[in-house]
Amino acid sequence: MSGRFLANLLKYVELSAAEQEVVEGLVAQRRSLPAGAEVFREGEASSDCRLLLDGQAFRHKNLSDGRRQILSFHVPGDLLDLQRAFQGMEYSATTLTPCEIGLAPRTALLAAMGAHPKIAHGLWRLSLMESAIYREWMVGMGRRTAYARIAHLLCEQVTRLKTAGLMQGERARFPATQAHLADSLGLSVVHTNRVLQALRAEGLVELRGRELVVLDWKGLCAAGEFDSAYLNLGRRAA
Amino acid sequence: MELTLQPVLVASGEEGDGVLVFRDRHLVAILVRLSSLHEEQAGFWFLEKGFGVLDGPQHPIFDDLHAAQVWIKARLADHVGKPPWPNAPV
Repeated sequence: MSGRFLANLLKYVELSAAEQEVVEGLVAQRRSLPAGAEVFREGEASSDCRLLLDGQAFRHKNLSDGRRQILSFHVPGDLLDLQRAFQGMEYSATTLTPCEIGLAPRTALLAAMGAHPKIAHGLWRLSLMESAIYREWMVGMGRRTAYARIAHLLCEQVTRLKTAGLMQGERARFPATQAHLADSLGLSVVHTNRVLQALRAEGLVELRGRELVVLDWKGLCAAGEFDSAYLNLGRRAA
Repeated sequence: MELTLQPVLVASGEEGDGVLVFRDRHLVAILVRLSSLHEEQAGFWFLEKGFGVLDGPQHPIFDDLHAAQVWIKARLADHVGKPPWPNAPV
């Protein structure tokens, strides 16, 4: 039942048939959500962790004046709130597209980690990759220009969507608006729009309709100073 | 409080119409008029850059220069007698 999540975990760690069965059994319920729906809210108590089985979502923090900071974008196979297994949640998550969410009881996750070191190992690897993504975003917001920030984020999305099997050739569904990108990168919508127009005019990438279309991958990577090494794609643990 | 506007061209990558906004000969903000790049917001005025208490992550968009000045004056009035930026030595 946790198909995409298991597939994601298997990129990082080899699991025996029995261990895979444990992972498959983690999801006790599934829930379908439309685009723009709240998956969970900061501070909200729940006994379940949320696996993103299908669709795209994002984590965010809401400010008291109504503004928000988007923290990360997610693809199928991601665990949106592993933190909940251990402590309270200080961020929220919202769907970007219609999503299938798997609910995994936190007690079941903790039990699986306790009984199966390799499952715990895989979850560690997922967390480390998320940390690496946060570090890149921090570098971007602190030190990259708006132009490089947006190019880097789009490179990251393309790479993650490709790994999740969601790129069709050079295009993928990615219905993030300019406001989503602005809220992710600490930019105004006006600056975001200017940069997106420049990236399109230079023949690098286009956000058209609700799709992300790569026109020149190498050029886009150069614009964003993007090196996918931090995503540790496909590297299994020794 | 009086604000003085001085027309200027801004190298924003757009058409470039802008104004420098002064209070008491001090530059407090740069506003630019949004071009057709911004579709339904074309012709609106954008806070490209604020200085002192107007500096920060908020870049509002205004229907016209009058609305922009109302907003700028309100912000400046809120900080009368306070240091020009948070945590500044008094």
